[in-house]
Amino acid sequence: MAELHIIGQIVGASGFPENSLFCKWGVHTGGAWRLLSGLKEGQTQVDLPQIGDMAYWSHPIDLHYATKGLQGWPKLHLQVWHQDSFGRCQLYGYGYCHVPSSPGHHRISCVTWRPLGSWQEQLAQIFVGGGPQLRSPDLIYSGADRYRLHTEAMGTVELELGIIMRHFDKYGVDS
Amino acid sequence: MADCWNTDTGEAVYRSRDAVKNLKIKVRIERVTSTAALSQHLQQEVLSQQDRGAIELETLTSQGQTGDNEEELVVGWQEKLFSQYEMELFQNESACQTPLDRQYHTEVKALNRAKGRRNHRIFTYTDHDRYTNCLPFHQLQHSTDLLTTTKSSPTFLAERMASVRHRRQDRRTMDCSIPKSRIINWEPTEEFVKNSHVVNNAMQTMHIMGDLGPSGRLGQKENESLLVTIKTDGTGTVIVKPDFNKGKEPYRIVTEGEKREVWRLTVENISTTMKPEEKDREQNMYKDLYVRHKDYLSSLVGQDFEMPPVGILRYLMNGEIVSAKGFEYDNLYIHFFMELPNNWSSLPFQSLSGVTQTCRTKTLGKENVAFFSYPFSFEAFYMSEKESEESIPQWPVLYFKVLSLDSWQCYRTEGYGYLLFPAMPGKHTITCHTWRPLQTGTVSALRRFFIGGSPELEDHSYVRIPGTFKGERLSRFGFCTETTGSVTFNLHCIQQAKSFVDAAMMKKRRQKVFDHLGGFSQQGAICTILEAFQRARRKMQEARESLPRDLVTTTSQLQIESSA
Repeated sequence: MAELHIIGQIVGASGFPENSLFCKWGVHTGGAWRLLSGLKEGQTQVDLPQIGDMAYWSHPIDLHYATKGLQGWPKLHLQVWHQDSFGRCQLYGYGYCHVPSSPGHHRISCVTWRPLGSWQEQLAQIFVGGGPQLRSPDLIYSGADRYRLHTEAMGTVELELGIIMRHFDKYGVDS
Repeated sequence: MADCWNTDTGEAVYRSRDAVKNLKIKVRIERVTSTAALSQHLQQEVLSQQDRGAIELETLTSQGQTGDNEEELVVGWQEKLFSQYEMELFQNESACQTPLDRQYHTEVKALNRAKGRRNHRIFTYTDHDRYTNCLPFHQLQHSTDLLTTTKSSPTFLAERMASVRHRRQDRRTMDCSIPKSRIINWEPTEEFVKNSHVVNNAMQTMHIMGDLGPSGRLGQKENESLLVTIKTDGTGTVIVKPDFNKGKEPYRIVTEGEKREVWRLTVENISTTMKPEEKDREQNMYKDLYVRHKDYLSSLVGQDFEMPPVGILRYLMNGEIVSAKGFEYDNLYIHFFMELPNNWSSLPFQSLSGVTQTCRTKTLGKENVAFFSYPFSFEAFYMSEKESEESIPQWPVLYFKVLSLDSWQCYRTEGYGYLLFPAMPGKHTITCHTWRPLQTGTVSALRRFFIGGSPELEDHSYVRIPGTFKGERLSRFGFCTETTGSVTFNLHCIQQAKSFVDAAMMKKRRQKVFDHLGGFSQQGAICTILEAFQRARRKMQEARESLPRDLVTTTSQLQIESSA
């Protein structure tokens, strides 16, 4: 019976090797949560900054959830991709963060990492691009299998989210 | 006598949620001639004398004149009324080029076969006519009433402003729908560029014109003059230029040509207003709709919410391990686990430990940083027992260990650290610094460098307070460590307890730091509630005893319900 509004934007990304970036994003929740309105996943446009390092998307996020419990708080998953001048897309990073649980305006920096292959694959990646990707991004959430991954640190995605919570205090939730 | 003219010919903006097709306007033009002025003057004199005598007067209204010197017409929205010129033009089929022209041709023929058109001098240009776009521009050419000297061409600004209002390109912006394909116009025309720089809705326009030529010589294109312009966009804004007279003086139109004649223009809004019953019905319908929508939304949401049992505090922490920086070697990973002190419990399937992925660092600024972005979620319950008030509650601790794995599959301990769960709910970004145990001497340093063994802690809780510690002073004398890097966590903490609800309902939010630290000073609130309940129960029992026997059975039912 409690409701949560997530209203904000994916501002942009910086710190990646190349700059022509786009982002695929999605919000993942537990079973007790129900999406009342809004799109819970999407893809931004490709942005190529002329000056500076940060690629700006300003992609809107506007979600309205209803929930029966606190478990399964919404989590945001991001995939940053690079599109080169030939139109090929390669993965530049995965990022995961929780949606804040306190009401107000939050500026979130979500860091990203990219899976690494063997040294042959890394060599090929320098010349041709590409690289290993996760078979299904959802296996991250199970948590148990992450230790098998070998990754490298990539850039950071900036988000601004405004959180509005309704009726949570009626059920004794203090946040 | 001097007539007063209404010189306020600017546009008026009206807003209405009603459909624009209900708009009806009455337009009246009458020519100001000497005889007309005289007859009007006489009429006024007569009217002022009428109460004195019983002079019945047929005023000097000559029928022949009124037919041509005045006209009153009711015009609906986008109602096409033909002028004399258009009637003649659309009679021959050869003049018709577009389908619209052909449609007009059929209409004109039908009109000719029937009684003829109902308008005489007043006619309209609707949105579809090609004149609608360029009319104001023509008006500009004849804007001689601004200056005494005749300046033939309008200024640059006037030119631009005239065409700003009319956008014929995209007529479908009634609901601001954006086309899904062809979002970018790669070759815009100059007019498109000019119009797109102004944020403007597309308007549907209608011009009511008057043919103000001398009587008998109607149908000349030069004698047409613009009377009223009505514009609307799809969202309920109606712009009328000039505004309705509303009982004030009529507007004045001066014709061009050798004979500069003066005409009087009166515009009136005679759209049928809604009857009060209908208005009430509409309002009730809206109210009903909103109430139903609200009910629908709340039915989607549902009424229940999961709550912990009474007297138990649920602590929920969603967090992520963000990054680690400043460590000696590369390819770092973090191994962490949580420790729950006394009175804390967690669900059986709750995993209390985890390992992140191995991450190769990159250089950011002066340090090497590894990004983990590892989300975790943790839930624990605190049982509030009867205990002394002085004891500060113990919060769970997260112990972590940073390790590095190199290409030879050697593990090295990079650092130990701990994180105390925050007592205040909300968002916390915490950076924990780490250290690693050091053995003095070169042997251990060589070992660590070559084959990767390094001293490790047996009991991880040694990082904070060892579990085996009993006493008052913790001494770590003789323990040698080296400072290594730091790890950043993002934590979102939520606390939930039934007593928070009671505190809110009783409006007793005590803001003392200790209360917030405890989070269960609500314990005191629980006690007072229990006491109040006991008191009420005692009172009810006493009252029950004083009641006669036959009422006892019914009240006992009620009591069972209230104590449940």
